[in-house]
Amino acid sequence: MFGAAAMIPRVQSLAFLVEIGPLFAGLLVAGRVGAGIGAVLANMRATEQIDAIDAISIDSFNILVVPRIIACVVALPLLTMFMDFAALLGGFCSEFVLSHITLQLYVTRAFMNLEWSNFIPPTLKTTVFGFIIGTVSSFYGYTTNEGAEGVGRAATNSVVVSSLLIILADVILVKCIFLIFPESAV
Amino acid sequence: MTNERDPIIVLDHVSKSFGSKPVLQDVSLNVAPGEALCLLGRSGTGKSVTLKLMIALLLPDNGQIRIGGENIDKLKGVQLSHVRRKMGFLFQSAALFDSWTVYENLALPLRRLTSKSKKEIDESVDFFLHEVGLISDKNKMPVELSGGMKKRAGLARALVLEPEILLVDEPSSGLDRITAAEIDDLLLEQKIKRKTTMVIVTHDARGARRVGDRFAVLDQGCLLALGTADELDHNGNAIVHKLFEES
Repeated sequence: MFGAAAMIPRVQSLAFLVEIGPLFAGLLVAGRVGAGIGAVLANMRATEQIDAIDAISIDSFNILVVPRIIACVVALPLLTMFMDFAALLGGFCSEFVLSHITLQLYVTRAFMNLEWSNFIPPTLKTTVFGFIIGTVSSFYGYTTNEGAEGVGRAATNSVVVSSLLIILADVILVKCIFLIFPESAV
Repeated sequence: MTNERDPIIVLDHVSKSFGSKPVLQDVSLNVAPGEALCLLGRSGTGKSVTLKLMIALLLPDNGQIRIGGENIDKLKGVQLSHVRRKMGFLFQSAALFDSWTVYENLALPLRRLTSKSKKEIDESVDFFLHEVGLISDKNKMPVELSGGMKKRAGLARALVLEPEILLVDEPSSGLDRITAAEIDDLLLEQKIKRKTTMVIVTHDARGARRVGDRFAVLDQGCLLALGTADELDHNGNAIVHKLFEES
């Protein structure tokens, strides 16, 4: 189609910033960090390390779970921005190879008519993904009572349930963002 | 020996089940201040559960547990924390925090629960690591320690807040006889020097005889016998006799 190639940077930027970046960042972190949190906490439970913290009258929930949830909430938007940047860089590289487009022209076309509402709300929605990953993974790890077998199960459950909840939350949050920021609907 | 004094630990008709499996059935015992009570019994008879009930890591289904007059199974939050601070717990596996060094394992309770300065914390940690003979290993990770060293590091962590009561779960399990005797020496020293009240779960009758003042024998969740070494030596029950005589 005539002129369609010129739209590729804009389509890429919209896809990456609005949906692919946030969702993939959430799913990747659920796979990598969620499994890690679930396994580490379950291992601590199985080896009585959590009991040891409680036994010295320190609230194990406060020092093991709360920081992990906060870390996930803070890290997800930052990782999403990194993901967006990496995706756009990849998009530029492919366009450069195919059509020898300059970086300046790619950036101009990519961000043409792009609203802040196409970037800020989708990036901030990943704080919800971070909260889901932190709470779900911590729940499975912290509450396991199946010894070594429970470590593997906690890691698997953390990834599966976090991923499903992230996809579900994404559907709901996209609707909410479109309702609050109608101009972001393309 | 110390029955005239008010007991610091009281278990009053305590029962505990996991699902449909009863683990402790109507167990009553008490421990006087400064006394060392050894809990003996076969595996799975509820000895470790008894220790965890004493520090409210588990809650009883029936009965009461009083620590220093406080009904610990009814306490929550700050009040529970206050009672737990009187107690140190050496876990069977030592339960060292595996992502922290030995020093950090000991410093954690001091940082969180006391107002000591960094210098005072360093001094306290060094003092207790010196007591258990691990001063040169303070920057090692738990994974770099042998079983006996882990037990000693766990003991140092249990002692770092200078508790009135020390709960010890299987201090000699998985250790050779010489290392087990070293751990017993440390417990004995703690009992004599600091007059710490101790409840020690063990299979090792020889070690129990060295450290303990009184002995309780559990079997299938029931208290079979409670008394001094002399009393248990003359107990007619075959299980008591076998457990207490084995070395």
